[in-house]
Amino acid sequence: MDLRYSEEQEILKQSARDFLATECPKTLVRELERSEEGHSPELWKKMAELGWMGLIIPEEYEGIGYTFQDLTVLIEEMGRNVLPGPFMATVTATFPIMEAGTDEQKKELLPRIAQGELILTTAILEGAGVFDASGIALKATQKGNDFVISGTKLFVDMANVATHMICVARTDEGASPDRGITLFIVDASTPGIKWEVMPTTAQDKLCEVRFENVTVSAKNMLGKLSEGWPIVENMLRKGAIAKSAESIGAVQTCVDMTVAYAKERVQYDRQIGAFQALQHKMSDMWTAMETGRYLVYEAAWMESSGLPCTKEASMAKAYVNEVYRDVSKWAIRLHGAIATSDDHDIPLYYRRSKSADTAFGSTDFHREIVAQKIGLA
Amino acid sequence: MDFSLTDEQKRHSKEFYDTCKELGGKRPSSLVGFEAIYELDECWEYNLHCAREFGKKGWLALGWPSEYGGSGDMMDRVLFSEARGYYGTPGVDIFGVQMLAPTLLQAASEEIRKQFLPPIARGEAMWCELWSEPNAGSDLASLSATAVKKGDEYILNGQKTWNTGAHRADWGFGVFKTDPEARKHHNMTFLLLDMKTPGITIRPIPYLDGSAPYCEVYFDDARVPARNIVGQEHEGWAVVNLLAGFERSGINEIMSMMRGLEQLVAFCNETERHGRPLAKDPIIRNRLAQIACELEAARTLAYRVADLQNRNEMSLMDASAGKIFFSELGERFAYLACDILGPYGQLRSSRWAPLNGIWEKMFHEHFITTISMGTNEIQRNIIAWYGLGLPRMR
Repeated sequence: MDLRYSEEQEILKQSARDFLATECPKTLVRELERSEEGHSPELWKKMAELGWMGLIIPEEYEGIGYTFQDLTVLIEEMGRNVLPGPFMATVTATFPIMEAGTDEQKKELLPRIAQGELILTTAILEGAGVFDASGIALKATQKGNDFVISGTKLFVDMANVATHMICVARTDEGASPDRGITLFIVDASTPGIKWEVMPTTAQDKLCEVRFENVTVSAKNMLGKLSEGWPIVENMLRKGAIAKSAESIGAVQTCVDMTVAYAKERVQYDRQIGAFQALQHKMSDMWTAMETGRYLVYEAAWMESSGLPCTKEASMAKAYVNEVYRDVSKWAIRLHGAIATSDDHDIPLYYRRSKSADTAFGSTDFHREIVAQKIGLA
Repeated sequence: MDFSLTDEQKRHSKEFYDTCKELGGKRPSSLVGFEAIYELDECWEYNLHCAREFGKKGWLALGWPSEYGGSGDMMDRVLFSEARGYYGTPGVDIFGVQMLAPTLLQAASEEIRKQFLPPIARGEAMWCELWSEPNAGSDLASLSATAVKKGDEYILNGQKTWNTGAHRADWGFGVFKTDPEARKHHNMTFLLLDMKTPGITIRPIPYLDGSAPYCEVYFDDARVPARNIVGQEHEGWAVVNLLAGFERSGINEIMSMMRGLEQLVAFCNETERHGRPLAKDPIIRNRLAQIACELEAARTLAYRVADLQNRNEMSLMDASAGKIFFSELGERFAYLACDILGPYGQLRSSRWAPLNGIWEKMFHEHFITTISMGTNEIQRNIIAWYGLGLPRMR
């Protein structure tokens, strides 16, 4: 047991921190929130030059071949700086390609992902808004060598700029909801696809995507016909861990900013940080962060080591969802009215806590998984 | 970042678990909760039995230098602690083994180490702590019990209080004012004393549940050999701080709660209410799942503390955060368990009590962990002042 970062991780972390501080100032974060795209191609290009999009892609596909754990270290830094744009969407969509893609699919996509040429996303949620298989109704019907997809996906992260989508479709009414689900790699420019950005709390470009008789070649099927749900589950699990790592990074900034402000702000002729009512709250914020942090690190380590970790991933997500929401709320509260202004940085974090808690499964969704895993009948 | 155990550690862990499980065969059913060992004679006897068994295996000296009979490292100590927590096995004196021994190894003279460490390692000498006084609780440095040096003895007068298991202990360690003229923090001496010394009177304090594991101790011209000192004369405060740094990682309480969760899950699966098992109640599922998340968070934080200790990089902040989180989690868990048990949640160990009344005991035993070893409010101050660097109001 050694709970320190590896030397490589320290370097990755530090270089990411320096890069994001320079290249992704909060002015850019705000600008992208307000823009239609929510994406900066210049920033994306620089990130690709650092190799970030190919971080976990094996070297044989022109990636860097780092581990999942290394990726979470990088993502934590992104969370710290509320990096906007399609990184998380792309990397999450990379997981199922690496896991279930044919060699041909990998050769075609992975090197281009690593180069930053492609932007990917996954289309899972629909009207029901749940991350279990019962929520998948969008139909893909086989016609010769093609499939025709029709239906509507919601909350598709950065579909507005994506070049490809991993679309989770129902190909069969199986014996149970998790049977009969198939994944397709869909070129976003295929005729019949229409998207619209949904107005979310974090203004983070979650989209409604309508598929109207969209034709996809059978060779773009990812994994086996009607046996795709386990791939989705694996992706959701990795996504939940990655999202939790991002949240912990964000929580760190909320704590740091609040402590710094408490040392600076003077009321009653003293720094407000000298008042124990505030000190204890900041202690609690820090403790909440640290308890969440090692839960995330444990899940990331297990995932990276190939150990079964459905329970631990769900624990991390369920727990950190609330830590992020509560700590960012208390960060506003301790700053006082000033931090309720949209010009202040803390609300960027607070608003994203809402987005983070729904991504890859809500608190209660993951608690139910935990309930099953601890043996409740 | 690596949470894995080496093959050797896994082997040790199995040995710890096997032994604790085996010792469970002799466990009296009256032993419910952590503090009960100090209560009934049969529980105290069981505690001594376990201590001697552990002593024979050398497990009370894990992480000590080999010249004092030590073996293994801090990680072994953590694994041992996990196993004991899981099976609720007593036998490791928190005062002697966990707090005093590492303090002696760092701060005591060779003579003192040679005299006091071997009986601790053998599980023969049981200790108590003599710190708090009626007017010196959180502000321990304002203590007033005195030790006046006369020849080669200190003569002790005054009162100590909240001394867990003092009525059972062979030895006590504590701080006494030795220089009334000196400024605070430089006026007290850390002494080791035989609890059978004439002039010492021990009175159990009735706790809110009717038990009495805590005592008050009166000193009336009690004579203690002057050589029974740890650290420098008048500089006992430094020793107090050192000892406080040897807080338990908390892992055994956490593992005890982990086992508590397993038992409660089984109870919910087996027990029907409203025509279905309790386990099918979505509210109970949600609440138990949340506690399970918090327990896992607690366990990983305990590993973090242990990992730091293992490299001698103790962080005051992490230890305080752990103390706050573990103790308050214990409260939350006990309240939840008692909610689930309904009216049975108020039953002490008896033929009506589910799970031998453990949750009724936990309902109030957790108070103590939020207060002892520095209240959780003091711990929050420590995080704020020493961790976050927030200013201290004078």
